[in-house]
Amino acid sequence: MIWEVFRQEKAGGYHTHCGNVHAPDREMALLFAEVQHGRRKPTNSLWVAPQEEIGEVDTEDANFGGTTNKSYRFARTYNVEPAAEEVEASEKELTEAEEQRGEA
Amino acid sequence: MATAENATFDSVDDLDDEQREAVKDLLLRLADDELVIAERYTEWQVRAPTLESDISLANIAQDELGHARLWYDVVETFGYDETDLIWERDADDFRHSTLVELPFEEGDWADAVVRSYLYDVAEDIQLRALEDSTYAPIRDRVGKVLGEEDYHLEFAESWLEHLAADDEGHEKLQSALDRLYPYALTLFEPSDEDIEETIVELGLRDEELVGMRDEWHDRVSSYLESIGLEVPGLDLPEQYDVHVSPDLLPEHVGRDGDHTDDWEALLDEMTHSYEELGRDYATHIMDDDE
Repeated sequence: MIWEVFRQEKAGGYHTHCGNVHAPDREMALLFAEVQHGRRKPTNSLWVAPQEEIGEVDTEDANFGGTTNKSYRFARTYNVEPAAEEVEASEKELTEAEEQRGEA
Repeated sequence: MATAENATFDSVDDLDDEQREAVKDLLLRLADDELVIAERYTEWQVRAPTLESDISLANIAQDELGHARLWYDVVETFGYDETDLIWERDADDFRHSTLVELPFEEGDWADAVVRSYLYDVAEDIQLRALEDSTYAPIRDRVGKVLGEEDYHLEFAESWLEHLAADDEGHEKLQSALDRLYPYALTLFEPSDEDIEETIVELGLRDEELVGMRDEWHDRVSSYLESIGLEVPGLDLPEQYDVHVSPDLLPEHVGRDGDHTDDWEALLDEMTHSYEELGRDYATHIMDDDE
C-alpha cells in the first residue's frame, strides 16, 4: 500500500508533498517517512495519507482559470511611490501569471 | 550502587590504573557491541524485504556506528587511536556479546527483527543505568545516544507485530527467538568479575548486570508474550546474586574475549581493505569533531 508523505519544515508552515512510501499500515508509513523524508532536511512534522484517499481533479476535467487575462483582480490601481508591499507582491503575481500564459 | 559519597571523575586524569581499566572495559563493551551489530545490519543492504525497510535498517546501522564512535572517542583519551581499537585489534580483545556477531540465518528477516529487538531493549536498559555515571564523559554522551534509540525499538516492535500476525511469520520469529535468546543473555555477562565489581563500586554504572538482566527479561517476555511468542524461562540459581547458570549460556560468551569463529571471519572481512592496502592508519573522510 502506498502512502503519500507531506513534510512541514517549520511550525505553522504548510505541509508540502515530498514523495511516498510503501508500507502496510500508518505506523510503519510514519516510521519509513521519518527516515526517508525527515532525516536530511529540517523537518518539524510529517503527515502520511493513503494514496487512495487522496482526491484529484485535473485539467482534463476542469478549467482552473489563470488562462485568461484577469488583471482587474490585481491591486494595480492604487500604485504610489514607493509601492506598498502588498501592491508590489500583487504586481509580481500578475507578471508571473502573464508569463505563464505566455503573454509577457 | 552509586551513592552520594561516590567521587565523580571529569576525565582520565582523575583515574588511577584500576579505575582506568574499569572505565575502559565498560566503554569497550558499549562500543564493540554497537560496531559489530552495525556491521551485521549492513549485510541486509539491498536484501531487506522492502526498499523502505532496507533504508530504515541501514539508517539504524548508521546510528549504531555513530554511537560506537562516541564511545571509542572516549577510549581514545586513554591513549589509543582508531588503529589500536579497530583495525589492528586482535579478535579476542573485543568485548562485544556473541549475540551481535552471529551471522543472520540466510535470508531470515525474522532473525534480524528479533535480534534487533533483544539488543535494543538491552541497550535501553544499559544506557539508563549510565545516565548518572560518575564518569563525566560517559554521562555526557548517554542522552545523545538514547535520543536515537526510540526509533530502533519502534521499528523492531512494528515488524514483530506484523510478522507475528501470520502463521509462517510467527513460526520464524519463534525459531529465531529460541536460537538467539541464550546469546542475548551474554549481553549481561561480565568481562571479568573483578573489573565488573569495580565498575559498580565506582558508580560508573548504577545497576548491576544481574539486575539489568532481570529487568530485560521481564520487559522482553511481557512484550513478546503479548504477541504470542514463548520466551524461554530465566531460571535463577538458588543464590540470587550470581550470574545465570552456565547451561543457559551459549558456548561462547564474547564479553570475556572468547568469541565464535564467525567473529574472526567478520573481523577479517571488516579489515580486509585495510590489510590489502598495507595501511597503518585509519582513513577519515570527515574531519574529527572539535
